[in-house]
Amino acid sequence: MDNNSCESSRLKCLFLSWPASPSARLLTSVLPHHQLLLPPLSPLTIPCRTKIQRDYRRPGQPIENKYPLNFNFSKGIEGIKKHFTLMKDEFFGRWVGPEGKPLIEHILEQNLVIWKFRGPESLEQWTVSSDQEIGGQSEAHLKMGRNDNTCFLHGKLSSTIPRDGETRYSGYCNMRSKTPKASFDRKKHYDWSSFNTLHLRVRGDGRPWMINIATETYFSHQKDDIYNYFLYTRGGPYWQEVKIPFSKFFLSHRGRIQDSQHPIWLDKVNTIGFTLGDKADGHFQLEVDFVAVSKDYAHTEEFAYEMYERNPKRERIE
Amino acid sequence: MSPYVLALLLFSLGLGTTMTFASSHWLLAWIGLEINTLAIIPLMAQNHHPRAVEATTKYFLIQATAAAVLLFAGTTNAWLTGQWEIQQDAHPLPVAIITLALALKLGLAPLHSWVPEVFQGLDLTTGLVLATWQKLAPLALLLQIHPPNSYLLILLGLTSTLIGGWGGLNQTQLRKILAYSSTAQLGWMVLVLQFSPSLTTLAVSVYVTTTAATFLTLKLAKATSINMLAISWAKAPALVALTPLVLLSLAGLPPMTGFMPKWLILQELSKQGLAPTATLAALTALLSLYYYLRITYTMTLTMFPNNLSGTPPWRLRTHKTTLPLACLAITTISLLPLTPAAVALVAL
Repeated sequence: MDNNSCESSRLKCLFLSWPASPSARLLTSVLPHHQLLLPPLSPLTIPCRTKIQRDYRRPGQPIENKYPLNFNFSKGIEGIKKHFTLMKDEFFGRWVGPEGKPLIEHILEQNLVIWKFRGPESLEQWTVSSDQEIGGQSEAHLKMGRNDNTCFLHGKLSSTIPRDGETRYSGYCNMRSKTPKASFDRKKHYDWSSFNTLHLRVRGDGRPWMINIATETYFSHQKDDIYNYFLYTRGGPYWQEVKIPFSKFFLSHRGRIQDSQHPIWLDKVNTIGFTLGDKADGHFQLEVDFVAVSKDYAHTEEFAYEMYERNPKRERIE
Repeated sequence: MSPYVLALLLFSLGLGTTMTFASSHWLLAWIGLEINTLAIIPLMAQNHHPRAVEATTKYFLIQATAAAVLLFAGTTNAWLTGQWEIQQDAHPLPVAIITLALALKLGLAPLHSWVPEVFQGLDLTTGLVLATWQKLAPLALLLQIHPPNSYLLILLGLTSTLIGGWGGLNQTQLRKILAYSSTAQLGWMVLVLQFSPSLTTLAVSVYVTTTAATFLTLKLAKATSINMLAISWAKAPALVALTPLVLLSLAGLPPMTGFMPKWLILQELSKQGLAPTATLAALTALLSLYYYLRITYTMTLTMFPNNLSGTPPWRLRTHKTTLPLACLAITTISLLPLTPAAVALVAL
């Protein structure tokens, strides 16, 4: 009965208020329905995905309505200070060298710590999400570890499937870094092309985690392309130093491993994330000391996966 | 890639440029440019990496836009003057539009934004073809049109040398450095175009030689970033000794061949009464020199402290083809004494 009424209301929405053109459909997904009296005639401007990155918005949550503008002087002044400071740093950083570091550092660097958790402000660079966005019951929380020296991701995984009629699997939690931003909220990328290994110091609970790296893409159908590799934690009181060469990362799109693989290009990396989705209900925890990249000269492998010919032509037997 | 397809594409590349060289009709010139664009697209996208596909898409969009504007300007010229000949006197407005279209095709500043991103997405061999062969056809057309307004070409030239020098300063990716270097060198060629087309021809030939030598050097060293060059002293000591000379030739320092076009261009500009232009161009060459010297410093003048796995290989002789690099390096370093002969050759 419930399903029928849901279905009928959905159909009603479809036929009565579904706009015709793609641009209008996009608009209705952004603005609430009552604001849209007439569908627009021309496509409206959309902020360029490759230049601007909004903060993470959980699917299903309404888009933050900026209009009418809430005029707040102190917030405005804070924003001006922050953005102009970033711009000044960028400007003067160019005099020092590429990426704001002296060239000698670029030539000699073999290890670079990207994220280290040394205070509560380091947690603001990370976003935590779980399957609660799709109606699941897992929980995930991020806090500082002991002595404010590590970050502690903990929670409870639950693979109870949300009852919406379309989800078939559930039970995941994720911790993902935010895209680095230059002044005025422009996207910045990490350039890890001098390095070939990911170096982590973690203390897990024995569960298998997955590391996801997202790079900058050009086409919109590539925006969910992520490079993954496994992180098997040992559990126990001892810290674990994990070194994963970037040549081992494989490509997946929306969780599905792709047939045609290629090595990850490290000159425009956006985010790194840790995901747990091992279908085992219960509590979990992961403590991370630092996330670094390093150059291992002994590792000369370019890509770990060979591409075979798919759908080989069968010889005709006569 | 199948060898037949590769042969077809390379043949088409040659055909396109040759058609543009040989044409006296704007339509045929446009056809040659389009054949060039279409032939290099599969070569750029052959490894199917998203970055390569991105570079290919950007390149295609830019070149198609430039070709469309060129066709539009050629048609407008035919409408206004009644003839399609490239070398006949044309109406000034279409000529200006054609100049801008060809500037977009070449990657002259201020229409240069696509060049670093496109080069960054390609491997070094395709980058070499893009930096050398693909510049010939548009330059051939530029040489044939007679721009009535001298300021446009001088502005394009000076802006290119300036932005080519400045843009490459904070780069660590070698392909982007070479992209900005290409913009700067093209700026020099375009500066003297209207005063002495033969000097532009000379500059183009020297540019092709020096850039090809640089690309082949980086290909042999398998380096795409400045710090990758730092360990090449152990892999190929002779190359490490030769590369500074090649790079300084690209920068235009005597006694290398690269000094020849710069010297003659500055002389011509001074003769034409454009001493401030010549001074500015010479000063902007210093910006480019800085990043060439940076590469030289990293590769040759410093010894990277690698004594682990970057150890010297047990055999230094490489199995790769080094003959083209050897010939180009000799040409790049030692042809300055032949300047009078070169000037006489291109003046014909």
